[in-house]
Amino acid sequence: MATEHETTDDGADEESPLPLGVSVAAAAVAAAVVLPVLWLVRTGLSVGYAEALALLTRPTTVQVFVNSAILVALTTTTCVLIGVPLAYLTVRTDIPFRRFWTVVVSLPLVIPSYVGAFAFVSAFGPQGGFQRFLAPLGIERIPEIYGLEGTVLILTLYTYPYVYITARASLKSMDTTLIDAARTLEHDRWEAFRRVTIPQIRPAVAAGALLSALYVLADFGTPSIMRYDVFTRVIFVEFGTFGRDTATLLSLQLVAVTLFILWLEARVRGEERTTAGGRSRATLSLGAWRYPAMGFATLIAGLALAVPVVILLSWLGTATASVNQSLAFQWSYVTNSVVVATAAAAVAVVAGLPVAYLSARYDGFLPTAFERISYVGYAVPGVVLGLALVYFGSQYATPIYQTLYLLVFAYVIRFLPQSVGSLRASFLTVDPELPEAARTLGQTSAGAFRYVTLPLVAPGLFGGAALVFLTTMKELPATLLLRPSGFTTLVTHIWTAYESGYFGQAAIPALVLLFVSGLSMLVILRQEGYDVK
Amino acid sequence: MDESQDFSRRPNRRRFLQAAAAAGIVGVAGCNTPGEGTETSTETDAGSVDGDTPEQIGSGRSPFGDRDISDGVSMQEMPDLEGELTLYSGRGQALVGELVSFIEDLYPDFTIRPLYNSAAELVNQIETEGQNSPADVFYSVNAGALGALEDRGRTQSLPQEVLEFVPASFRASSGAWIGTSGRARSVPYNTDTFAESDIPTDIMSFPDVSAFENELGWAPTYSSFQAFVTAMRILEGEEATRQWLTDMQDLGVSQYADEFQVARAVADGEISAGLTNHYYIQRVLARRGLSAPLRTTFTQNDAGAIFNVAGACVLDTAEDDTLASNFVRHLLSAEAQDYFARTTFEYPLVPEIEPIGRLPAIDELNPPEDLDLSQLSDLEATIDLLRETGVL
Repeated sequence: MATEHETTDDGADEESPLPLGVSVAAAAVAAAVVLPVLWLVRTGLSVGYAEALALLTRPTTVQVFVNSAILVALTTTTCVLIGVPLAYLTVRTDIPFRRFWTVVVSLPLVIPSYVGAFAFVSAFGPQGGFQRFLAPLGIERIPEIYGLEGTVLILTLYTYPYVYITARASLKSMDTTLIDAARTLEHDRWEAFRRVTIPQIRPAVAAGALLSALYVLADFGTPSIMRYDVFTRVIFVEFGTFGRDTATLLSLQLVAVTLFILWLEARVRGEERTTAGGRSRATLSLGAWRYPAMGFATLIAGLALAVPVVILLSWLGTATASVNQSLAFQWSYVTNSVVVATAAAAVAVVAGLPVAYLSARYDGFLPTAFERISYVGYAVPGVVLGLALVYFGSQYATPIYQTLYLLVFAYVIRFLPQSVGSLRASFLTVDPELPEAARTLGQTSAGAFRYVTLPLVAPGLFGGAALVFLTTMKELPATLLLRPSGFTTLVTHIWTAYESGYFGQAAIPALVLLFVSGLSMLVILRQEGYDVK
Repeated sequence: MDESQDFSRRPNRRRFLQAAAAAGIVGVAGCNTPGEGTETSTETDAGSVDGDTPEQIGSGRSPFGDRDISDGVSMQEMPDLEGELTLYSGRGQALVGELVSFIEDLYPDFTIRPLYNSAAELVNQIETEGQNSPADVFYSVNAGALGALEDRGRTQSLPQEVLEFVPASFRASSGAWIGTSGRARSVPYNTDTFAESDIPTDIMSFPDVSAFENELGWAPTYSSFQAFVTAMRILEGEEATRQWLTDMQDLGVSQYADEFQVARAVADGEISAGLTNHYYIQRVLARRGLSAPLRTTFTQNDAGAIFNVAGACVLDTAEDDTLASNFVRHLLSAEAQDYFARTTFEYPLVPEIEPIGRLPAIDELNPPEDLDLSQLSDLEATIDLLRETGVL
């Protein structure tokens, strides 16, 4: 945690030079993220200009590009439209069973989107369970679930929590006295929300939306199951034909698209302000609106959670009939998953601190560059990142190749933006004058950070760690490529069972995954409870 | 359940019934599919279906004790295995994990470190690892991936006595790799809609069959499908293949993510026929019971009937090539060959071991003559063609 100590001696003057220690730490993190991309560039360059151009201008490539863009835009929009109201409801209103809803609407994040997609197809596809249920009523066709609409639906249901969690962390640590002030200035509630709350949470919402957008861009499983042609699919097909070079080239194109999205997000993020730390827990009384509010939360959580859980349970019921011995469930899968996910979460938060801190507190090229760079690993498809690290590991880091160290390293590169985004949003809500004040009262810079800044950013810190933990738990492609031989996690086991058609055997690990991840969510919420109040 | 023997000759029957009484047909099809879900709830214990040999399909019992294996070479007669072996398996753990553990457990001083992933990713991984690859043996789902490694000079020749286990057409002429089990391209069809005689025996004539309109399914991202198109390119030429792909799309062929899905969709009646490897049909039948309205047929002597192999090679980075090639030899043992027949529903390649299920014997199949399986690794031109025609 050496970096944290460094972070405190800067005060908060945006004109002051960058603190050296933090900058070095952030630069090191950025360099680590760039490493796999360098391999991409290297391999991409070897493809040759003519072929590269032909490939990128092919009509089908253009078509999937357009498809991807539409999918990302639609999904991100719906994520914001669902995530922000839910965050507001669970932080700022007197919605009954608030803690319950907080947990429940965060939970879809624990379900891998490809499992969700398959469950939906299983339930709502042609000849699916839902149609059979309706068949006696004479209903022979239900609306087509495949295609763009279905893909947007699934990806929204399983990525809106990114927006929800970052928006929620920001709302929690936001100073509500400002709203009171706005109210005394005779703004109505909506006006106060628009003029005070929205600008305050915008960076966090933008960060969450960015995570959703990048997830959608890099996801292969869902569009594939939902039969919607996107970018990642072309890459997948190339890999399937041993066209490693071409796939790499296309991945570079995907990285370029990511950079564009990052640029876009920076514009949406808007003017950021830092304010005093959270005080006052004024809540909005919903009155009769409680019921529609609960209905909204129930609808979202019901669709996202109940459908896969019911499907998984129905698979469970059929698992006993034909048990495949080599697919018998073992508890070591749970331990393996939890160990690597915990390690990845811890490292990602520590690595994210200097990057987030610099970016929140300082303007200028380097802080911005470090933060932007930290997102790049997130957009490289898992399979490409995995291969890049296979190359790096087997050529330059043989002692850690096919060990858990390299695996955790991959997770950190891939999910760093989740901790950076969350931490950064929290740093922005801490008034820089607070640690200053602590120092005038005789605290060391480290002490000021420890006793003032850290507790205030704790929600973001735990939120970030939680995101990394949960996404690591369900990460698949990089795990398959980088895990040590014989190392099985919950998802690799689910994948093995699902891929070979033994769905019954996928049910137990999937339900355990849901349970463990759900538990972690509870722990985090509890932790937050006494850190910020 | 009683639908299985009802071989309607009228291709339009299904559409008629669907319009008139969709609920009814769904109800009948759903007889052996209690609960909800599509295929998953139908994992009925195939052992409970009464009948003869095929009832063993998919049983959870040990794959090594259920039928007499009188021919072939037993593992007992093979050289002992000793030491550590890193196996990169492009075949799933669910399918071959039991076999791998069995071989490992047979010898006290033998350890296998398996790494399971898709064959293509493992080929890319081996290539990326270069000379630092820890892999000793690569076990592949298809000849294409093995051929790809051979093309890149990453294989070493297997001993002649290992190669001689299978007929020459099921191994690389260079001796770089050997097939361990076989997979035939096939046509699954729904018996509620079609009779076997409704399915043409010539793959090139499929687009001309009006009854196939909007009734066919395929999985173009699947490697075996791509191998099939590659074979068509080689056998019929680029232009004819392009035309065929275009005509098939005009016919309204449905696209699926994998061939297991195609076979399930045919059994569900979502489509009436498709293009899949033969064992996907067997797997669906193993779960739903033989009463499911799904049967296998084959085209004759054309790309639609190619017979590909799963197989293995010893890598140039293998630490102990004798151990590695002796491990490959074990995959050709009578026990392993029988395991493939009963557990993965593939064709054993060692001639003495019989296939299982409602499958014709290997010599009753009519794959195209004079097609070298190694040629099927040439996928690039196939992908280009699939792209140009808009299939991918």
